Amino acid sequence: MGFVSGIGDILAAVKVVIVGCGRVGSTLARDLSREGHDVAIIDISRRAFERLGEAFSGKAVLGSGIDQEILEEAGAGEADCFISVTNGDNRNIMSAQVAREIFKIPRVMTRIYDPIRERVYREMGLYTFCPTVVGAAIARTFFDSGPAEADRARHAVAASGASGGA
Amino acid sequence: MPERPAYVIVIGAGKVGFYLSRHLLEGGYEVALIEKDPVRASLVAAQLGSCASLVGDGDEMAFLATSGIERADVVAAVTGDDEDNLIACQLAKRQFSVPRTIARVNNPRNVQLFHQLGVDVAVSATELILGVIETGLASHGDVLQIPLGGSSEASLVRVTVPVGQAIGRTVGDVPDLAGERLLLIVRNGQELDPQTPLEPGDQIVLFTTRPASDFTLEVPELASPRSS
Repeated sequence: MGFVSGIGDILAAVKVVIVGCGRVGSTLARDLSREGHDVAIIDISRRAFERLGEAFSGKAVLGSGIDQEILEEAGAGEADCFISVTNGDNRNIMSAQVAREIFKIPRVMTRIYDPIRERVYREMGLYTFCPTVVGAAIARTFFDSGPAEADRARHAVAASGASGGA
Repeated sequence: MPERPAYVIVIGAGKVGFYLSRHLLEGGYEVALIEKDPVRASLVAAQLGSCASLVGDGDEMAFLATSGIERADVVAAVTGDDEDNLIACQLAKRQFSVPRTIARVNNPRNVQLFHQLGVDVAVSATELILGVIETGLASHGDVLQIPLGGSSEASLVRVTVPVGQAIGRTVGDVPDLAGERLLLIVRNGQELDPQTPLEPGDQIVLFTTRPASDFTLEVPELASPRSS
């Protein structure tokens, strides 16, 4: 579920809540919205929503992604999928836990820059990814084996999504 | 006194963290105060003296490990950010097996969430203050209300039976009290049987979701007391 191969496909629109409208959050929101999914994106800065562009047809909610009222407003109560990608590890972790424990969203993913915290919360059952670990691994592969292997490592990451628990 | 004083790690050296640490030090506890901002940390260190004040991130695991957290009896995370307090407590509990974690909760709605996510004690200053104010407002005359916190409306209400109202009746015969969960009737400090006819000054303690001011104990004129 959730894979879209092109316009014209019959697809069930996925209701997704994204917290953090930075580069990652806004790119994801734009793409998913264009593909017909039901997107709500949350950020504490109104200016951040400028990244979404004119074509974005989802909902932009101004406020904190750890605030249950804001999450409610974004439709977390009916969401199928939740992704937190703010710049704060703790905000991401807390909002992901609220999404899972309070709103019972079935698919929850969060970004954690700190590798140690990422390991802890992955062990606790959150689906996490750590750009630090992924980036260092690709750079290390480049260092050891050159660009071709590094490309392969990058594609492997892109294909498998990210490291993480259930 | 135990063999060694309890070791408390306080995270966040704002006003709450500072006064908490000072209070604990005066009480003979061993205290480490952790603060991210080096300027604030050195200021506080100068004021607290004997307290080990540490500059560092309270939710940075590598740093926590240097604070002797594994032998801490209590971690109290009292920064102004709920997410930092929550994660500090979770890490303390999970990674360092700290027996008791206490978090300051800035948004009252998070109290229940923090409990659900494994924090032992979640304290909301907002809620405490609101509770005190409400109690103050509600304790006019013969009623006293103690809110039980959380997002629930539930509270303990103590109603004092006024002169001339509901006298000689049992609690079950006072319509005002009929649907409520009766916990206790107290007369002169002694617990009474719930079937005892009421006298002025008796104190009735209820578990209820109604505001204390609701309880007037009025009995309709025509209702006659049941003979017992």
